[in-house]
Amino acid sequence: MFGFVERAITQVGTTTVRIAREVGGIVVLAFDVLRALFPPTLDGRELVKNLYKMGNQSVPIVALTAFFAGGLMLVQSAPFVEKLQAHALAGWAAGYAVLREIGPILIALMFSGRVGANNTAELGTMTVTEQLDGLRALAIDPIRYLIVPRVVAMVVMLLALTVIGDLVALVGAAITAKAVVGIEFSTFIHSVVDNLKPYDFLHGIYKSMVFGASIALTSCYFGVTVRGGAVGVGRAVNAAVVAAAVSVMLLDFFMTYWLG
Amino acid sequence: MIELAAVRKRFGRHAVLDGIDLQVPTGARLGIIGPAASGKSVLLKLVCGLLRPDAGQVMIDGTDITERSEEGLAATRARIGFLFQNYALFDFMTVGDNVAFPLARRGGLAEDEIARRVSARLRAVGLAGNEAKMPAELSGGMKKRVGIARATIAHPEIVIYDEPTAGLDPVTTSKVYDLLRADQETTGATVIAVSSDVEALCRFVDTVAFLYQGKIRYQGAAQTLTDAPDPVVRQFVRGDLEGPLEG
Amino acid sequence: MRGLIELWGVFVSTIAGMIRGGRPKGEIVRQMHAIGNKSMLFIAVTLGFIGMVMIYQACMQFNRVTGDLSQVGVQFIRLVTSDFAPTLTGMMLATRVGAGIAAEIGSMKVTEQVDALRMSGVLPVDYLIVPRFIASVVMTVVLTTLGGAIMYVAGGLTAHYQFGVNLKIFFDLSLLNPAHLSLGLVKAVTYGAAIPVVSGFCGLRAKGSSEGVGWATTAAVIGSSLAVLLLDFILSVAGFFVLGEALR
Repeated sequence: MFGFVERAITQVGTTTVRIAREVGGIVVLAFDVLRALFPPTLDGRELVKNLYKMGNQSVPIVALTAFFAGGLMLVQSAPFVEKLQAHALAGWAAGYAVLREIGPILIALMFSGRVGANNTAELGTMTVTEQLDGLRALAIDPIRYLIVPRVVAMVVMLLALTVIGDLVALVGAAITAKAVVGIEFSTFIHSVVDNLKPYDFLHGIYKSMVFGASIALTSCYFGVTVRGGAVGVGRAVNAAVVAAAVSVMLLDFFMTYWLG
Repeated sequence: MIELAAVRKRFGRHAVLDGIDLQVPTGARLGIIGPAASGKSVLLKLVCGLLRPDAGQVMIDGTDITERSEEGLAATRARIGFLFQNYALFDFMTVGDNVAFPLARRGGLAEDEIARRVSARLRAVGLAGNEAKMPAELSGGMKKRVGIARATIAHPEIVIYDEPTAGLDPVTTSKVYDLLRADQETTGATVIAVSSDVEALCRFVDTVAFLYQGKIRYQGAAQTLTDAPDPVVRQFVRGDLEGPLEG
Repeated sequence: MRGLIELWGVFVSTIAGMIRGGRPKGEIVRQMHAIGNKSMLFIAVTLGFIGMVMIYQACMQFNRVTGDLSQVGVQFIRLVTSDFAPTLTGMMLATRVGAGIAAEIGSMKVTEQVDALRMSGVLPVDYLIVPRFIASVVMTVVLTTLGGAIMYVAGGLTAHYQFGVNLKIFFDLSLLNPAHLSLGLVKAVTYGAAIPVVSGFCGLRAKGSSEGVGWATTAAVIGSSLAVLLLDFILSVAGFFVLGEALR
């Protein structure tokens, strides 16, 4: 009995210490990245290369996700809409949920699973094969050279993907509305345009910038702190996607309050 | 008797094996050598059905195994012991459970009988009393020997060794080959071994096949390998820099 | 396309493997611990926060339009049971559990441990995927229940303290009916089945060395997340037509 209690307390303690260390490490990395951005001496070629690669990796997946996310929100609101016989509300309800919450969150989660995980694996492999030490030996700052372009590219890319994704999601919702509930496209479009404000769209976009930064920093942090060879890389990828998911949910909470 | 007839295997566009004909009589010891990535491991995995050929036949004692389902192959595989290149020890099991695994899966033996055979087998490979350790606690040479113990615990009629001594120092290499030879002499099993250490391998096997560009380029007695008439084989075996050997 | 057919094959042989047996003793319990217990905190935190956010957004919107917040609670619990709890739990587990399964099985594949299993007459699906499959189905249902409860309570407290909604009015279950519960349960079971099959499939397809494992892990996260979304869409549309009246 006491053995169990003791184990539980030990577990809580070590988990807390581990989380504190990881959060601390990510914050320190964030400051390093910010410092490296002033004055802005960004390696342009590295940035473009990363943007291209990340866009390539994620556009199809994000489009597919957004399409279904839009459709889903419509199906969820469908029973309510049917009950009230209020077809004019469908676009508003689905659009509001998609633009403010579901769109940015789902796109961020997918982005983290595809681009973030890949980034961790890449940096992790470089770390275990001592390539980062190699850069330091050549007096090249790995943060400036490797991390900063990736962080900037991920923030920009997630922002762009969310803009595209929002549109695709609305299309998905409109098609589902027609196919499942039988709502005409014109009714749907009116419902969206009349009831949603540009701020609803911006609300989601502001969030996506913060999500992009947090996904980028967590994935880079877990990449450069890999230990223990190939198995370590797998573990780091796993830890990075989990940490990114938690940080997206937490930041979403604070951003929602802050943005109103 | 193991027979391969006109076996082809390609991965993507690259034809790894391009018409292999090979016979290994029962009780023979065959060594397979060849440049890196010449398909030696692929050939071994074809023999026990871990890979399937794109064309051709793989016969064990007169029956073709290429058409068999995964379940149907179980009976054939029970007669084969396989030492994998990187040991392939189950990292979630103790050393004892690893060695016991082929026997335990087969069933029909009491647990204390299995335990007795496992400790006898581990003693034979020089690792007595290491049953409770985890594979991660062992050195490379020890892992190799655990792998050998696991491959031979069920007295298989055919034993396949993929790089039994890669990454081992010369003394350990000799010890491992002594062990393999002693084992083969007591059981009379058919042995196929792949190794990059041609010299050590030749002291263990009777005949050697040289795999090159998807084909068996040369097959002959192990003792006379350095005097093979084929200049490609000669160059490979002697390690000359100049010669007809490509890539 | 060929990948999808192979994936279906893995699913079919997983089902067949449940009847065949041949999984290691005690493995299901071990996997339940790995999948369930170790995801509890993760699910509790993420679903709790998103519950608060959803209620916050909903109340803001209702305030803007009608100002009547009495319906928020009753509608929220219906959406939580029939969709949010299973789907968000599924998305989170696709990340955490999917990546874990693919990394484990993928590293066994590239170190030839899967081949070694086959040499001993073991079918890798029976030995590796079936126990994770059973554990995942059970634990996804359990975690969905936990996540849904936390979401509901967190949402209720947000409505009460931020918007002054009476707790009794919010926590009103009278409009919840078996249709919502069964749709939610079907979703939880389906995701619980899909995640280990997709990630186990990705793990078994890993090739090469550490890069192969990395590839398998990424593919498993994306593959199982997409599977959850796609199945959610299919099940929600099916639910809308089959359960129709009952969901309203």
